[in-house]
Amino acid sequence: MNVFRTRRLARILPARYAFAIKRMTGIALLISLLASAHAYAATTQAPTIRLFPTTVVEDLRQTSSVAKEMETGLQEVIGRLDQQQQLYQQSKCDGAENDPGCQRLAKQLGATYLDMLSIMEERLPDMEHTVNNTRLSLEKRLRSELGNKMTSWTLQETLLGGNPQESAAPSPTMRGRSGMRLSERFKQYYQLVASSSSQSDQSLAVLASDIYLDMEETSELIARTREEITRATLIEQLNQSFGTITPEMMEIVGGVKSILFGDESTQMQVAGPPPGSIEQAYRSPLEN
Amino acid sequence: MSNLKLTAIFKAALLVATASLMLASCATPPPPCMGPTSKSLHYAVDEVKGRLMDGCIASFDRYYDDLLTIAEGDPKPENKRIFSEFLVWSGDQGLLSQRQASDYYNRYFNIKFTSMQGDYNNCSHTCPRRDRVMLNMERELSDKERGLLKVSQDSAGYYRADELYQEVELVLEATCTACNANR
Repeated sequence: MNVFRTRRLARILPARYAFAIKRMTGIALLISLLASAHAYAATTQAPTIRLFPTTVVEDLRQTSSVAKEMETGLQEVIGRLDQQQQLYQQSKCDGAENDPGCQRLAKQLGATYLDMLSIMEERLPDMEHTVNNTRLSLEKRLRSELGNKMTSWTLQETLLGGNPQESAAPSPTMRGRSGMRLSERFKQYYQLVASSSSQSDQSLAVLASDIYLDMEETSELIARTREEITRATLIEQLNQSFGTITPEMMEIVGGVKSILFGDESTQMQVAGPPPGSIEQAYRSPLEN
Repeated sequence: MSNLKLTAIFKAALLVATASLMLASCATPPPPCMGPTSKSLHYAVDEVKGRLMDGCIASFDRYYDDLLTIAEGDPKPENKRIFSEFLVWSGDQGLLSQRQASDYYNRYFNIKFTSMQGDYNNCSHTCPRRDRVMLNMERELSDKERGLLKVSQDSAGYYRADELYQEVELVLEATCTACNANR
């Protein structure tokens, strides 16, 4: 509000209006003072990073549910493959491929293997689509929030949080390669992200980076698997005519199992810090 | 005549003596800038202060390293304060700039990494030189191990710095992949 103009108006208008205008000027001044105080407070507070908008959360939920569907579809056929393979080995068919009984078992095993490949071929495009969606939304967020809006120093301060002397909040388990079901992994991500309002910026930055890198790997793996499925299907169709079990076939089944259902032996434990008191920690005036 | 001769000889001798004295004074070596001899950090700091005031400023890095080694022999949380005061004194005496004093302290005794300083955004500045940044951080982490863990017995501080290093590595990997994907 222009004060000079108000004063001039006050001279023209009757006294009661002049009083009202004076009050309004006072209120306007108060409002502008409050606004500038608010703006000052906003500049002194660290900016909040927006890494998980609702779209990303929804993408994660979707990925978890698609992964769950794929696992359910494959669980039965992989169980069947395991049983058939066990039967093949118990019947001592290794080295007795010409035995008619073994040939029949091998054909059954090959057919189940083809079933598995066909389920994967059917479900993988959906999986690839949702994983890519999540990856791309996170990529955009990471680029904008951590890449373009922050310097290395502000990134470090974000990761340290408000009080660098305090130990960080327990971070989520790193990287999804730790022997866990694919759907369970995404479900965990979703739960962590969905409750992100209760988390600090530092753990969110780590979480977003972790999920994004995991998605990159998963996405690459899915693309490679899709390429392989066509080749493996063709080879197995040819093998069906000869009734043999190739080592490659067993290797692929093993690989699929470890991707989908995890591998307990790959779990890694990181040692925690030894107990140490920092209560009387000295703070130098030189610290930045 | 003989008097004149004697005077000439005396003058020549005086000239030679003065010249040799001047030459000898030119050949006097600069102060030796020896390292501190005390094994107590307090006394060692006093010795170093004296040497620095005697013109041994060029040996500052070596003295700082000597003091750290002495402090490693008697690690305690209080050492942090002794180093801080020594560096503040060095700044006050004009031996170091405020920035240098701050860097000397933070490199060894602060959780934050001085090698993470930068005025430009990560996509344009940090990512193109990520390997170098990580290498510098790794070197700084080993100095922090010395300052925080071995000198000040601040194990929690050191492990937080180590954790921060790992977080920065992960977050920079993701951020730089995202930045590069846009090119």
